Amino acid sequence: MAELFWFEKYRPRSFDEVVDLEEVKVRLREFVKGGNMPHLLFYGPPGTGKTTMALVLARELYGEYWRENTLELNASDERGINIIRERLKEFARTAPVGKAPFKLVILDEADNMTSDAQQALRRIMEIYAQNTRFILLANYVSRIIDPIISRCAVFRFSPLPRHLMAERLRHIAEREGVTLKEDAVDVIYELSEGDMRRAINLLQIAAATNKVVDGNAVAAAATAVRPSDIVELFNLALNGDYLKAREKLRELMYIKGVAGVDFIRAFQRELIRMSLDDEVKAEVAELLADVDYRLTQGADEEIQLAYLLARLGAIGRRAKPTAPPPKKR
Amino acid sequence: MALPWIEKYRPKSFAEVVDQEEAKYTLASWICTRYKAPREFCARWGKKRDKEISEAKAVLLAGPPGVGKTTIVHALAKEINYELIELNASDVRTAERIKQVVGRGLRESSLFGYGGKLVLFDEVDGLHVKEDLGGLEAIIEIIETAKVPVVMTANNPYDPKFRPLRDLSLVVNLKKLSEDEVVEVLKRVCTGEGAKCEEEALRSIARSSLGDLRAAINDLQMYLSGGRRVLTVDDIKRVGERNPQLSMFEILDRVYKARWFDEARAVSFNPSFDWEQYFVWALESIPVVYKELELTSVAYDRLSKADMFIGRIKRTQEWELLPYALELALGGVSQVKNKPRLPPFIKYGFPQRLLLLARTKEVRRRRETLIEYLAQNLHVSQSLVRAELMYVLSALARHNPHVIERLSKSLGINSLDIKNLL
Repeated sequence: MAELFWFEKYRPRSFDEVVDLEEVKVRLREFVKGGNMPHLLFYGPPGTGKTTMALVLARELYGEYWRENTLELNASDERGINIIRERLKEFARTAPVGKAPFKLVILDEADNMTSDAQQALRRIMEIYAQNTRFILLANYVSRIIDPIISRCAVFRFSPLPRHLMAERLRHIAEREGVTLKEDAVDVIYELSEGDMRRAINLLQIAAATNKVVDGNAVAAAATAVRPSDIVELFNLALNGDYLKAREKLRELMYIKGVAGVDFIRAFQRELIRMSLDDEVKAEVAELLADVDYRLTQGADEEIQLAYLLARLGAIGRRAKPTAPPPKKR
Repeated sequence: MALPWIEKYRPKSFAEVVDQEEAKYTLASWICTRYKAPREFCARWGKKRDKEISEAKAVLLAGPPGVGKTTIVHALAKEINYELIELNASDVRTAERIKQVVGRGLRESSLFGYGGKLVLFDEVDGLHVKEDLGGLEAIIEIIETAKVPVVMTANNPYDPKFRPLRDLSLVVNLKKLSEDEVVEVLKRVCTGEGAKCEEEALRSIARSSLGDLRAAINDLQMYLSGGRRVLTVDDIKRVGERNPQLSMFEILDRVYKARWFDEARAVSFNPSFDWEQYFVWALESIPVVYKELELTSVAYDRLSKADMFIGRIKRTQEWELLPYALELALGGVSQVKNKPRLPPFIKYGFPQRLLLLARTKEVRRRRETLIEYLAQNLHVSQSLVRAELMYVLSALARHNPHVIERLSKSLGINSLDIKNLL
């Protein structure tokens, strides 16, 4: 199943396979050689190799037993610190298999935890320090509380430079029997913003229809992964068809499971391409920022998004005075 | 009039406490065997001899609200001329605070020539495990070491977390008061207030109090408020009918058709008003009522802000702020600028969200299974699968039917169902 997605199929399995991050590798190698290490904090934007490096480290530490000795958790998927505590208790109960004296906990999206939860996490890290080591993964180090940072060796992950991304993409294309044109690499690099996972996804989708991947094929692939149904919702709302927009919103929220923030992000990306007056764009941008905030504060996402759709309709109507006037009451 | 009647008519002596004879005997006997108490009092109340009584280090009074748990202790202190050191649920009850208050009370000698001191921990079942950190342990420590009587009250002492307290204490159960006893007390209060109360009226109050004397006296005070001197059965019926059960349709109608802010806001005082339900129904009805987008967005703006308040209240647990949220959700939604004249009959639809959620349970469950599976196997978060990888998957599946078949096999979900998820 992992083979289905190329980013997983070609995820580096050893230090040697990692094309970048030389300083990180040097220090992690030392830990493996010494058989001991502190807690680690990897931070950086998405798709820069944090998860990959954590998994590589696990393989290098434990060899074939890496799965038994590693617990992967995601802070935003586990419901609360108590669930995390329970799963840890279970995991840390047994001794590590193999020669390493500790087990490994990889906690992804640690910066999505509230500072209270992070305080609790800090205590948990201390309690299990005897036989576990944590690798915390985060996008923003500023959202990690100081007491945790001070307990970790901190590593920064930066977006891949263009030539290394190109090298990796060519390697994958070759193995998959795909011809990769130079302009395709440019477009992928542009669209992926240094996010390796996104870059490989684009390549894979483009390659699904074309054996020769060029810039156009990549652009088409980018359209294919655009959340077209959310874009459709955006247009419905701006055209002032509130009731239809609401129906679509509910379908996306409750059947497709789209989260509130994902609507805002998609709208925001779409806004730049829309043919609207700049004044209107500014007004919509302000509205999106406001609703994004309200979503973080509110209790009911649909209420916040209902407000967004209605306001978009009102803005859209004002922006188009040529549209047929509303029926007289 | 400043004093609530439940305080004004709180029994001053043991004899005045109604309908709890058994509990009074037990409590008095415990005091008389273990501590210093006036001879006449012990001769009258404290004659029970029992190993269980004489060995208990503390007493835990248990019973439903309003049956006289706290009152008995107050009356006892008065009877035996002890100074009462009291901590109740409204105090912070961390270990530190408990030791501080009780310690100070026990150290300082009384000014008024009391014969001793009595410690009362009121409503110990209100002890919060997290906020009142170590509170339970501190109480136990005081029971073990203090040389003075310690009494506690609780509605439900059988909560497992009270096990250590129960082991140390004599549990004395207070029973629910009978209707007749409640009526008797209410009669006395009526006389005390110089009011003429029909027996049937008092009986009706007593019946709905379900043995909670405090609730009954509060109700009586409400019926006789504003200096009224007569209470009849009709009064109770009239007041009772003032708040009939309203359907959600009627509630919405009152809100949208309210002529001014306060009229809409007042809907929240209706006993059948359920604010959580209201938010869902308001969400559904706003565009139906206002139709015009400008008005609709103003009303939604208010509902959205009210929902923000609710979100914050839920996080901080500051429920005393709820009125602000409700005010905005009712008055704010009702009173929008340039509000049109509403038709006499508005067809409020049943919230489609509730129907949709019920109808799509299976689909959502399958979708969650797929997302969880992908997140686990690809070492990414579920939110990344939702926001990005599901679209990648659906683009891949479009050109390669193989993809869906493989997922179908791994997940045990039929491939048509998976196709519908993408």
